Amino acid sequence: MDANRLQLNPSNGPLYAGIPTIVTYNGSNFANLVPLKYKYPLLFASIRVHSRLIIQNEGALFLEWQNRHQTKLLPRPLLSAIPLPPPMNEQIASIQSQALELIATATDERSLDDARVASIGKKGTLSLAGALIKDIPNEEKAAFGQSLNAARTAITSAIDEKQAALQEVADKAALSGIDLTLPARALPTGGLHPLTLIRDEAIQILRRMGFALAEGPEIEDEYHCFDALNTPADHPARNEKDTFYFNSGKLLRTHTSSVQIRTMETAAPPIRIIAPGSAYRRDEIDATHLSVFNQLEGLFVDTDVTLPDLKGTLEYFFHEMFGTSTEVRFRPHFFPFTEPSFEIDVKLQIKGQPPRWIEVAGCGMVDPAVFESINATRKDNALDPTKITGFAFGMGLDRLAMIRWGIRDIRLLIENDTRFLSQFA
Amino acid sequence: MNISLNWLSTHLDLSGKSIDEISDLFTFAGVEVEGIVTKGIASEKIVVGQIMEAVQHPDADKLKVTQVDAGEGQLRQIVCGAKNYKVGDKVPCCLPGADLGGFVIGETKMRGVESKGMLAAAEEIGLPKGEDGLLILPEDSPVGVPVKTLFDSDTLLELEVTPNRPDLLSHAGMGRELATLLKTPLLTEKSPETATAAASADFIKLESAEACPFYTATRIDNVTVTESPDWLKERLTSIGLRPINNVVDITNYVLHETGQPLHAFDASKVSGALVIRHATDGEKFIALDESEHTLTPEDLLISDKSGAALALAGVMGGLDSGVTESTTSILLESAYFSPSGIRRTSRRTFLSSDSSYRFERGADPQAVLPAAALAIKLMESRLPDGSIQTAGKLPEPPSPVTLDLDRLHHLLGDSISTEAAEEILTRLGLNKLAEGKWAIPSFRQDLTRHIDLAEEITRVHGLDNVPSRLRATLVPTSDTDAAYDADMILRRRLAALGLYECQTIKLIAENQMTDILPLRPLQDGDIIRVKSPLSEDHAIMRPSIVPGLVASAERNARQQAKSLRLFEMGRVFRNAGGGKAKDQESDNLAILVSGNVTPSSWAAKDRPADLYDAKAILSALLPGHAISLKPKDRENVSLAADIKAGDQTIGAFARLSLKRERDLDFTHPVFIAELDLGKLRKLILGKFQVEPLPQFPGSTRDAAMELGIDTPNADIEAALGKANEALLVSYECFDLFTDPSGEKIPADRKSIAYRFNYRDSSRTLKQQDVDAAHKKVLEALGKVSGLTFR
Repeated sequence: MDANRLQLNPSNGPLYAGIPTIVTYNGSNFANLVPLKYKYPLLFASIRVHSRLIIQNEGALFLEWQNRHQTKLLPRPLLSAIPLPPPMNEQIASIQSQALELIATATDERSLDDARVASIGKKGTLSLAGALIKDIPNEEKAAFGQSLNAARTAITSAIDEKQAALQEVADKAALSGIDLTLPARALPTGGLHPLTLIRDEAIQILRRMGFALAEGPEIEDEYHCFDALNTPADHPARNEKDTFYFNSGKLLRTHTSSVQIRTMETAAPPIRIIAPGSAYRRDEIDATHLSVFNQLEGLFVDTDVTLPDLKGTLEYFFHEMFGTSTEVRFRPHFFPFTEPSFEIDVKLQIKGQPPRWIEVAGCGMVDPAVFESINATRKDNALDPTKITGFAFGMGLDRLAMIRWGIRDIRLLIENDTRFLSQFA
Repeated sequence: MNISLNWLSTHLDLSGKSIDEISDLFTFAGVEVEGIVTKGIASEKIVVGQIMEAVQHPDADKLKVTQVDAGEGQLRQIVCGAKNYKVGDKVPCCLPGADLGGFVIGETKMRGVESKGMLAAAEEIGLPKGEDGLLILPEDSPVGVPVKTLFDSDTLLELEVTPNRPDLLSHAGMGRELATLLKTPLLTEKSPETATAAASADFIKLESAEACPFYTATRIDNVTVTESPDWLKERLTSIGLRPINNVVDITNYVLHETGQPLHAFDASKVSGALVIRHATDGEKFIALDESEHTLTPEDLLISDKSGAALALAGVMGGLDSGVTESTTSILLESAYFSPSGIRRTSRRTFLSSDSSYRFERGADPQAVLPAAALAIKLMESRLPDGSIQTAGKLPEPPSPVTLDLDRLHHLLGDSISTEAAEEILTRLGLNKLAEGKWAIPSFRQDLTRHIDLAEEITRVHGLDNVPSRLRATLVPTSDTDAAYDADMILRRRLAALGLYECQTIKLIAENQMTDILPLRPLQDGDIIRVKSPLSEDHAIMRPSIVPGLVASAERNARQQAKSLRLFEMGRVFRNAGGGKAKDQESDNLAILVSGNVTPSSWAAKDRPADLYDAKAILSALLPGHAISLKPKDRENVSLAADIKAGDQTIGAFARLSLKRERDLDFTHPVFIAELDLGKLRKLILGKFQVEPLPQFPGSTRDAAMELGIDTPNADIEAALGKANEALLVSYECFDLFTDPSGEKIPADRKSIAYRFNYRDSSRTLKQQDVDAAHKKVLEALGKVSGLTFR
């Protein structure tokens, strides 16, 4: 017997994971037991690559190994020294209960996964037990299989439940302690200037009516700023007290109306343009005056342009600008370059005041003298004053902005205080 | 111009018209009402009341309970504290609702006794303060009538008359216009004086018939210069004029009554004849306001035989020729001066007067003689016929004007009948002649063309009575439209990047030139200066927008703004070639960044913007374009560079000089950029086609390098460019490290790491392909001076 002794070291008692165990036969090593990963009694062990440990249902242990494709069975008496494991159903029950306990005590994804690997992983205890089925007598295979499946189902569902529970805890933790009432992180804010906003609004309205944009120089000559606009040489506006002149004789345009002339010099009717731009007057800057201000000019010249067109266009414009129920009135006025001429008032209610008429624009039918001087420049009769008529209008954008937003001091529009600008962001 | 409603009422019947109605009349006549000042008692609810009974108040020693007859059929109980009246006196009784300058009388209880109104003292109802207590009215005052009818009250209208309507610059003229609009007759007793005149060659020497077509002078002797009568003083004060003496007051009165300016000389100060002549070049003139003027031959003078300048014709009298208390004889001037001459002289000398105001707009030639006659009459002088001496002749009456009815109806959208239109002209004083022609009255010199008549008809007809027509037209997009759209895209991008749009004045100060960032260098002569700036702060046309932004940033910084992120778009102005190419205008975009990148917050430490934040804005403004800074020396600023998009220079970048930052008290670096908006628009509006998405995966390789701290990153990029490796599709610098202490790497070295992305658009790269490409890239990098791999 001694000569054929299979010995598992340590020889007595169950084997434990982590303790390397050498299987000797007749004193010589013939196999290594794979050290088990987990701290629980060795029930089954596999011998690396070539060998398998087989447990028969009566509890006798055979060791079968393969060596060079040979299978040898050890004689039964040789194995008597090895303590016999408990019966199979008990072993499965034990595997299940240990697995469930591990699952129950798992505290995170990782320990739960370890429990899964240890039980139903490829080399887990239940999987190894399942591998024995082929060595189990046929008549017992069904029962063995059932108990295996039951154990696997119990373990799997325990894992799923535990996983859901762990996720729930993790999700809750992920959202806890977040203070919705803390202020936001900071992003820089920026915005457009109120003049840009009001100008764009005006342009959008006029574009809907089919006006295209036009422009001209701000350093203008007297011809385009005054002469061609039927303004006599000794007109009050034409002096160095009211207008900025240059040594060259040129001047800073006092209105955007010069763009009318620039446009008509090259284009032919129908002409339908708007020209937003700066204009200059030699006014000291105060709460209501700027020496540089912003206007929007409009011009429609064609063969059949009448006062009803002027009235309809500008009523539409101011209804769009200030609301369709806004009253608009046209007061007779005088401009050298239009006849008849009007100033336009809209009736508006400014907070805390009764509604009142507020002047917003000037307009009129293009004076035939303007067409005549342009024809003289063009050296043709493209703007024949007996056939061509037109209307023109001009409005102060600074003023519209002040009315729209209740700005009391026009200087706010050029001081660029970000506390002011941020209100338009 | 000031108009007194009482004075105006001497020309037409305005009774029954409220001040608002009269104000609207003016408004729709084209005369802007700039102010309405009411003098005297305003409220109709202050009436004459007779005190019928007065008994002691049961609970107040100082009060009496009165029963007042206010003409209402029953007595009104009013509690009153005054003592100066007796039962039977008539006093002002303020009925409930009477407005005493903002304080409205109501019914109340005083110490438990009902009081239905108030008995008033003079000052309480807007009259000069009288004796203590109630104002006792004359015994014959009719009970119940408004007290205002017993006292002078008036309304002063401050009117803005457009320059084309000099005929409205008088009470007579304004009366004529209102009578037309109201379709009421003028009061006949105010029709103009008639006068006979005689031509005189000796008394008046008229040397310039062009500047002064018609001149009259009347000698009035035995004049006593004294205080004006009350009615005259009242007229003048009612329109805000200060009475001086009877002679001066009469000339002022006639001017505001008829619109014809007069002038009175002290006859004793005129030697020989009156000479109307042009000034000699450089001739001196001292006006009666004691201002001294150097004249030119364009200016017209009233002079005498001695050559002394007595008056600047039509503008202002001389200091020494005027009427004084010792004057006994006067020469009264009434003349017609040509508007343009007066306008020129007034502009050039900065002298203006009620007289020049009217002459330069065009007085009525036909008013010259009647005005003189009216003044003579007011001076109570009985002068023989022909005492008014004249020189020159009255201008021809205005030529008749044709009204083109077809064009009129077209203009007005067929909203008026021919009869109604003609009636308007007739009412305005025009006379219908044959063939559609209309005779124009002399006071309407502004009516010379069809359109002038059409305007009159339109004005009186009112645009309210013209229909509206809505028309839209299809117009192609203009270049200006496209530019505008591009500008708006850029504006919105910058706003989204956290910048505020600014608008600054385009006239800047000389000392702001230190902050300019012109796109092309400026030479002497390239700066455009205005001739007469309002102040040195606004003396030159900005050649660059940056100075305005720096000033705005400075102002905000003074207000404790911690984050300055500003931009502005607009015109810049310059000459080029040292002033050879004049007045060049272009559109620029300027950006200024300084201070905190974001507002302060608990979540991150405040971080002031650095160069790379500024550069990030430039890059984000033009995504898809490789934005780079190419160092370039510039005056007055630090870190100056050209801004490039690909190979194209699109602007200039810099940090303010550190001295300038200190001088302006900036606590953080100030980065500035000025960009050529014309070029940006092209980049924004350029058409493009999408790149197909890569079909095959790429690979990345990293390289960690070390090189001299002063070696610019551009050297690495240049080397990568030279590597010309087709598989290298992009790269990014993902780490930069320096250690001033020299512990981790030498202090004069920097560690820099790049990631290189390799891809072939037609296949999946094999590892050896990537390795080969990367090797080529590393070899190229190895040629950068001082570069070692880590």
